[in-house]
Amino acid sequence: MKTTHKRLLVLFMLVSLLLSSLSTALADDDDWYTYTYSYWGEEMASPNAYAVTNDIYLQDIDPELGSLSNASGMFCIDNHTFVCDTNNNRIIEYIREDGKYKVVRAIYTFNVSKAIAEDMKFNGVVDNTMFSPTDIFVKKMTKEERLKLYGDKYLGEPYDFGSEPLPQPTEAPVDNTEEPKEDAEGGSDEGATTTSDADGEDGETGETGETGETGETGETGETGETGEQQAAPVAPTERKDNIIRIDMDCDYEIFVADSQHNRVVHCDYDFNVVSVIKDPKDETLTDKYIFIPIKIVNDNAHRTYVQAQGVVNGLMEFSKDGTFTAYVGAAKVVVGFFQKLWRKLQTRAQRKRGEQYVPTEYNNLSLDSRGFIYATISALDDQDIYAGTATPIRKLNSMGSDILIRNGSHFPMGDISWGNIQSTASGASKFIDVIAFDNDTYCCLDKTRGKIFAYDFQGNMLYAFGSIGYSKGRFNRVTAMDNLDEETILVLDGQRGSITEFTMTEYGKMINEALLLYKQGYYDQSAEVWKRILQYNGNFELAYVGIGRALLRKGEYKEAMKYFENAHDSENYSKAFRHYREQVVEKYIVYFIVGLAILIIIPKIVRKIRKLRKEIREA
Amino acid sequence: MRKILSGIAQFFKGDGWSNYRKTLRYALYVILHPFDGFWDLTHEKRGSMAAAHTIVILTVLTHLWDRRFTSFMLNNTQWSKFSIVMNTLGILVPLVIWVVANWCVTTLFDGKGRMREIYMGTAYALTPYPLIGLPMIVISNMVTKEEGVFYTYFNVFALIWAGFLILCAVLMIHDYSLLGGILAVIFSIVGMAVIMFIVLLFFSLISDAVMYVVSIYKEIVFRL
Repeated sequence: MKTTHKRLLVLFMLVSLLLSSLSTALADDDDWYTYTYSYWGEEMASPNAYAVTNDIYLQDIDPELGSLSNASGMFCIDNHTFVCDTNNNRIIEYIREDGKYKVVRAIYTFNVSKAIAEDMKFNGVVDNTMFSPTDIFVKKMTKEERLKLYGDKYLGEPYDFGSEPLPQPTEAPVDNTEEPKEDAEGGSDEGATTTSDADGEDGETGETGETGETGETGETGETGETGEQQAAPVAPTERKDNIIRIDMDCDYEIFVADSQHNRVVHCDYDFNVVSVIKDPKDETLTDKYIFIPIKIVNDNAHRTYVQAQGVVNGLMEFSKDGTFTAYVGAAKVVVGFFQKLWRKLQTRAQRKRGEQYVPTEYNNLSLDSRGFIYATISALDDQDIYAGTATPIRKLNSMGSDILIRNGSHFPMGDISWGNIQSTASGASKFIDVIAFDNDTYCCLDKTRGKIFAYDFQGNMLYAFGSIGYSKGRFNRVTAMDNLDEETILVLDGQRGSITEFTMTEYGKMINEALLLYKQGYYDQSAEVWKRILQYNGNFELAYVGIGRALLRKGEYKEAMKYFENAHDSENYSKAFRHYREQVVEKYIVYFIVGLAILIIIPKIVRKIRKLRKEIREA
Repeated sequence: MRKILSGIAQFFKGDGWSNYRKTLRYALYVILHPFDGFWDLTHEKRGSMAAAHTIVILTVLTHLWDRRFTSFMLNNTQWSKFSIVMNTLGILVPLVIWVVANWCVTTLFDGKGRMREIYMGTAYALTPYPLIGLPMIVISNMVTKEEGVFYTYFNVFALIWAGFLILCAVLMIHDYSLLGGILAVIFSIVGMAVIMFIVLLFFSLISDAVMYVVSIYKEIVFRL
């Protein structure tokens, strides 16, 4: 009897153990669009912070202009949107009027004055076309200011092209990344790893297609990248006239990264060339170096920052007159001990063939309203991103140091759980563009999964949305993003040739309002807004912290502790607890002392009485 | 039933209860005088299995209470993923494997201890954990995050103390020299790894076999 019991028990245990290993992970159907991450790194559904309000295809609004081809750069200012139609070698300007988008013009050529013609020479010919423009930067500047800053050379007599032919391109566009520069030996402890045959990180620069290595992507594990080759860009063969649909007059200053013409062209709103930035001269640059500007910004001091292909020392800074002045914000990454050791053991030939420890290239940059540069890096190691040693997003001050605040429960790195969101993509998010809003929140665009991640000024994630797909609000291959105003985001899809307009919902506006109130010091009002947000989204930990902080200031420590606990904010919980403990101690200190006194006094009295009794008895 | 009841009655009527109390109190002597204590524990029969079980149960309870009642600031428990069973097994399974592995190793290397003595010694060596851990749970609810380092220090201290006691237990129970004892501990840990590996291998093979049968069954059911 007893043995059968035992046997049954053992059998039961065996079966339950087996069953526990049998249960395979069931695919969950949590196909939400907007979400946040909890303290534990789990995705939590969130109400939509942005909603798609427009899906703009060039061929729909202006059939004559055809569609965008591998558009890779975009800039919004006021109601204007400039798009670099990279493979079509043109720039399209849109304007938004009453929620509708119209084409203002399509720019194929710059207007060149005689005085400036010499600077516009490419391969010995004055070339006023653009070849593979990858980025455009626009800022406000009146004509008077421009004349004061840059002189009136550009307004002179226009250059007569006559029948001067364009240089006919015979070979594919140049590519710096074929031969990465050997890092200076002295700085060997800086740099992440890039394999020596790493291509220029993505197809937007158009280097695919001409070498045999296009099949293998430089970075491993990038499933989103494969099978996504574009045709190599073709140089313009004629000087096409610009097409102007709406004649406008704006006080703008335009910078175009004319990448395959190896120059940044600076012009006024009518595309009259004011100056040209090209041929940077510096001892770190070899003679063979060819300047290929990819992304540009121009700050309030009229310095131009260029992210150039194959340049690993950071962003290139150019002064107002177009001379190269410095590198800014070189990525310093520590090489691990074993990597160093391994390198020591290798032969010279192996070392040359193997990985090189060079700082990683930036891939995009954008300027916030106070002149700080937000820059993104995508060629990073997944593990480094996860450990926080690699920073996919940086905020650079003028010294080039990273001043981004990372106080959230997770580093600003996009997706935190990588595998289960979408089966088509794996690995860390790869940021390729960033927008900084006036309230110091910022959005990052993730190429891996076609997502947009929003962070507040403390580095807390506010929400993420978007995905790979074909329906509205999903993307094929995002390339750029910019904000039309504080509540409208435009996202450019290079493969589909579309611009998707997102407009902030009530929910998103509430978050911004709460953040703003908090920043201005109106803690109570901010808590009220956070409470409203919680009604929409009970998962939102930041809201609990916001309310907790207001309660903490009001002196309701116990309540505050409850909110901080909900948000797993142990720092603030500790602050609240310190005050709460004070309160409790103050309240009960009297009882405590009385109790202690009684404990001390009573035995003494008892002893005394006993002694007395004893004496009486003995007496 | 009657037998059990009378057994319990006997336990309290005779010197069972006082013996139990005495052996349990002996744990306090052991942790302060480990060499002496562990020698007498088995050789002089001053310990009992009942007391050993009590200490193990207290250890498990301390661990569970630690997870549950330690102040939020010092307690990083994800409740949605917390399982009492897993946490209990998390202590009991390594304990059992340790005892088995240590027995296997010491049997080969001339150890004097029997399995129940190894178990008893190990259990007595765990005493510092509940002894320090339980007050620390209470104290953790009275400190802020900065003061919480003391909580961590004391708990780490308890673990180091327990580890040292386990080593002493191995030395005394098996009558080893210091070097031999350390070697025995190391080999026991290796043995634990081997046992776990074999168990995992066994279960994964069995589950594969079962899966095979299940899938065949399913296939047949679908075809019919």
